[in-house]
Amino acid sequence: MIAKKVLLVGNFGVGKTSLIRRFVLNQFSEDYISTIGVRVSSKVVLYENKEIKLLIWDVAGTSGDEKIPKAYFLGASAAMFVFDLSREETYLTIDNYLESIRHLSGLKDITIVGNKKDLLTKEELETVIETISVKIDLITSAKEDENVESAFLQLASQAIK
Amino acid sequence: MGKPIRDSKNDNRFELLKELLLEDDREKFTALSKDIIDKRKISETVNPLIDLKLENLRENFPTDFGKTITETIKVQIRESQDEVVEALYPIMGKLVKKFIVVEIAKLSESINKTIKEKFSISQILKRFFNGRKNNANLILEEVFEPTIEEVFVIEKDSGLLAGNYSRGNIAEKDMVSGMLTAIKSFAEDAFSKEGQNLEDIKFETFQLSIQNFKTIYIATAISGVINSDFKEVLLDKINNLAEIILRDRTYLSEEKKLSKLIQEILINTDELN
Repeated sequence: MIAKKVLLVGNFGVGKTSLIRRFVLNQFSEDYISTIGVRVSSKVVLYENKEIKLLIWDVAGTSGDEKIPKAYFLGASAAMFVFDLSREETYLTIDNYLESIRHLSGLKDITIVGNKKDLLTKEELETVIETISVKIDLITSAKEDENVESAFLQLASQAIK
Repeated sequence: MGKPIRDSKNDNRFELLKELLLEDDREKFTALSKDIIDKRKISETVNPLIDLKLENLRENFPTDFGKTITETIKVQIRESQDEVVEALYPIMGKLVKKFIVVEIAKLSESINKTIKEKFSISQILKRFFNGRKNNANLILEEVFEPTIEEVFVIEKDSGLLAGNYSRGNIAEKDMVSGMLTAIKSFAEDAFSKEGQNLEDIKFETFQLSIQNFKTIYIATAISGVINSDFKEVLLDKINNLAEIILRDRTYLSEEKKLSKLIQEILINTDELN
């Protein structure tokens, strides 16, 4: 079986952990993420008839000042940047974030996911999409289990490229 | 003797007097009788009802009052912690004492067995020729013999598990290897000077030793007392294991093959057992 390390990054409170909780049932206690800034979960996905074991590193969201060990980003085969569609501050500086992740992980392509769709009306969602400077790959709602599986499958496809 | 003569006039007077003097008592007597009769009637009607209520209460007591009683007890315990401690202290003391006695008995049995073996003529001769350590060390090491509990071969950067051995059943070994890598990275980033690696994590009853190589690291969890001889042999064996893996990288992508190799080199060997 192929095994790949994938990253989930994004601001504090954008719903990364909720997305993982939807996708992966087995997981470590919440305490890890607040103690060492990361929590690792694993899940086997079936992509194009291939079983891929994803080791998902949920890197703690930061307000910018906290230092995250660079080693968390090493050896990753794919990364997903998650932002909160309802909170502007989580996507205002998206370009800087993506650049920083690319620099630390050495990855070129990053899957961009806008989460918490359930908190916006159709018009508000359209406005957010127009505002953001980069192309959003998937709009998800961890609460309503919308597009969560697709987001991780896209991550798996990116990991085996 | 003749019959006494009845004086009817006197009799009537006596009756009249009795009537006059005991009128109150008679009323009281009538009232009392009525009262008793009433009570008997009431009790005949009420008793079955009370019995029924009592039966209901007995049956539904836990549901009706359980919560309240628990809450009351909780409050009571909270408010009288000192008294509770005082009451429980002797019981806990007895339990701890009992546990210690059992454990000491086990230890003493084990030490006796080891002493018996150690002081056999063959062992005395052996020690006479090899003797570096004192008896206490030798005995303690044998009582708390080191045992390899877990071995993980992990890719250094990604934290992906390449292969492992476990004495018991380890759940979520992939997550364990990932989290171990994260903890290792965190500790190295937070505490170490440039280029230093985390090598040991000590717990109360076992030790996690980490050997770092270029692209992988090997973590071994050992229980018991680790002596320098054991450590030396283990290190040699781990270096051998790493050499084989790094020469033939197919081991890193074939978990079963690598797990078999770990067993061959580290577990099924007399030198570490």
